Amino acid sequence: MSNQIFSVLGLFDSAQQLMDAIPVVKPKVKARLDAYTPYPIHGMEEALGLRKSPVGGMVFVMGLIGAIATMAFELWTEGMDYPMVTAGKPAFSWQAFVPIMFEVTVLFACFTSGLGMLFLLNRLPFFRHPMLHSKSMPLITRDKFALAVEADGQALDVDAITALLRAAGARTIEVLEQPAPLGLISPNFLFRVVAGIAVSCFVAGYLTYWGVKLFPVAIPMVHMLDQPRLDPQREDNFFKDGFGMRMPVAGTVARGRIPFTIRKQDDASILMNPLPRTDDVLKKGRQEFTIYCSVCHGILGNGVPSLTAAYGAKPANLVSQQFRDYPDGKIYYTIVMGKNAMPSYAADLSEDERWSVVHYVRVLQRAMNAKDTDIPKETRK
Amino acid sequence: MNSETFPLPQDMLPEALKTPPVTIGPVSPASLDEQVLAPVERKPPLAWFIAFACTSAVMLLGISLIGYTIATGIGVWGNNIPVAWAFDIINFVFWIGIGHAGTLISAILLLFRARWRNAVSRFAEAMTIFAVMVAGLFPLIHVGRPWLAFWLMPYPNQRGIWPNFRSPLIWDVFAVSTYFSVSLLFWYLGLVPDLASLRDRTKSKLRKFFYAMLSVGWRGSASHWRHFERAYLIIAGIATGLVLSVHSVVSFDFAVSLVPGWHMTIFPPYFVTGAIFAGFAMVVMAMVMVRTTMKLENLITMYHLEVMNKIILTCSCLMGYAYLMEGFTAWYSMNKFIHHTFWQYIAGDYRVECWLTIVCNIVIPQLFWVRRFRRNYFTMILVALAVTTGMWFERFVIIVSSLHQDYMPSAWFIYKPTLVDLGILAGSFGLFFTLVLIFARVLPVIATTEMKSVLPGAQPRHAGGSLE
Repeated sequence: MSNQIFSVLGLFDSAQQLMDAIPVVKPKVKARLDAYTPYPIHGMEEALGLRKSPVGGMVFVMGLIGAIATMAFELWTEGMDYPMVTAGKPAFSWQAFVPIMFEVTVLFACFTSGLGMLFLLNRLPFFRHPMLHSKSMPLITRDKFALAVEADGQALDVDAITALLRAAGARTIEVLEQPAPLGLISPNFLFRVVAGIAVSCFVAGYLTYWGVKLFPVAIPMVHMLDQPRLDPQREDNFFKDGFGMRMPVAGTVARGRIPFTIRKQDDASILMNPLPRTDDVLKKGRQEFTIYCSVCHGILGNGVPSLTAAYGAKPANLVSQQFRDYPDGKIYYTIVMGKNAMPSYAADLSEDERWSVVHYVRVLQRAMNAKDTDIPKETRK
Repeated sequence: MNSETFPLPQDMLPEALKTPPVTIGPVSPASLDEQVLAPVERKPPLAWFIAFACTSAVMLLGISLIGYTIATGIGVWGNNIPVAWAFDIINFVFWIGIGHAGTLISAILLLFRARWRNAVSRFAEAMTIFAVMVAGLFPLIHVGRPWLAFWLMPYPNQRGIWPNFRSPLIWDVFAVSTYFSVSLLFWYLGLVPDLASLRDRTKSKLRKFFYAMLSVGWRGSASHWRHFERAYLIIAGIATGLVLSVHSVVSFDFAVSLVPGWHMTIFPPYFVTGAIFAGFAMVVMAMVMVRTTMKLENLITMYHLEVMNKIILTCSCLMGYAYLMEGFTAWYSMNKFIHHTFWQYIAGDYRVECWLTIVCNIVIPQLFWVRRFRRNYFTMILVALAVTTGMWFERFVIIVSSLHQDYMPSAWFIYKPTLVDLGILAGSFGLFFTLVLIFARVLPVIATTEMKSVLPGAQPRHAGGSLE
């Protein structure tokens, strides 16, 4: 297989000689004829009987696709996906989209023409073509003209073709052999490729890691991040205590927070729930209870936590008789001050929120201790 | 690639109308290769190294000043409200304009079948690419935080927003990036057969590998040439529309706004003409240099330079018309703000720049009415330098002079560039010429394949190629 003939090549000195030779050779050979020239020769297509190049059609189709796709994209982004009103223009102001449509059409058309010609129609790159390794190639790219009879799958009668080309005026004849077929990729080669990629990945990763670590990537205009002010919680030695932030003046009262001065739970019994027992208040209470209380006391308030307590303390069963007897004020006190393992929730809940939680605890107590008579007569069995 | 001329009976024409030969003296494909491709493999002469040292030093100055600008912020420039656009945008428009001659020569003149373009097209196309690269730098640093410039591209993002496709500034992004990509592609396609020649010439293994990869196994097959010629012609046709659109879109940056002095319909053709004008001046300068230093007098002939000088003269007259039209539009608008702005151009704070523009662009190129001056190095370089200067100052006048007095007199501002501005301008020239010098040593400066196809006797007789 390896020394099958690929083509027989005759070299000519001028374009005129080549063009004169083609009509002599063409009728006498069945195999494919091709010419190799340093520059395009006018009339070559007709002489060799080549089809007209389909580049034009390709360009037209791709250009059209570019134009339609771009206009559709612009109309979609500006008119539908994120409509922006610019200078009072309507969303589908197609006139303003024409310049970009034109540019993208040109881009599509030119790259289809250039790269499509090179890679699709001419099937390049093709480095194993026998011509590239022939003795004639350097002469052809300089100033010689070659006429080649190419086997194209058929057997060639080398002697007859040589005589024919000589008769047509060829100075030199070169016989090109079929290139040796590419062997299978050996496991050794494959292993070396994989190992090479792995090693280079490792080296690149290692270098990047240390490069970034040793030479931190410089952020341009870093001074924009450097603000001349003290942030809360920042250390600073301007003040004696070393804090950047200042504590409020003693006795400062936050907006909406009345100081809680009761220091004994029993004293809190006198407090009255100021909120009416409305639907909104109960809903608020349920929300806050679910967020803060249910984690330990359970979603029903029965002391079965929704999170299993990690430590020994057992959360109180808020619906038990003991807490049903509690006045509102004592529950309120517990929320503010905490009890046993329970911390204070004063910082998390405002006064109204605490009182609405108290209301909601009452709801839970009532619901968890329901009597048969609570059920309407009609539905009772 | 295609070089058919309109089939005029050359013998019957009077002497002045005959198309002169594209080359002087005996030129064969082999001698062409020896003259153009061989220097690429040789060591550059000392003069090249000296020139390279100078341009790269200026380039490094520019790069370090750009670094300083990015690290510090664009407050180091002279720009301030209301003159928010100054050197950055002037340089952008200026360099984009320089780039236009290349595409004009390679695309429009290809369509007009002007055979003389073959000798200068490669160099002019390379200049286009480098000029657009330099130009692209300026909007990037102008935005202040260039590492976020990808926001200009439409890509799905978590913010859920898209670029404003109604904005001329976004049109600009698309126009300039398309222009750059298409110019690069066009240049590369023309280079492929030349790279194949280089691949087959060179003895060095490394160079052979490099050129073989770049020429993607080009083998000059007739079945390839037919696609190649067709594709090349189609790109030239489309690029003609592109080159006219790019500077029109650049002019929309101004014309679509409502600033008095910018809001004019003359702007797109006026900008395109100006771009071709400045571009040709730069090409003439570069061609004189290339021709003398690389000993290519027989390939880039006086005829080539004269033809380009005629184009410069034509553009100069068109520019004169555009300037007059600006005055007419201002007067005809019956708008006192536009009257004021025009008056500011010619008699205001920047009147010196304005009159410099007019002298450089309109008066000095009139020398080219005389044949002797079109064929003289001294006048050629004089006019080319004048046009380059004039076109830069024209953009200065358009941008700075229109902006510095806006509707609110309390905000009026006299713009003065800082040293950083001037350094970056110098650096842009350094970058451009460094790239040009590298190109001149690494790749063939003349499209040898195209030249070979128009040499006498290159084409068979029946195809109209026998201009011997």
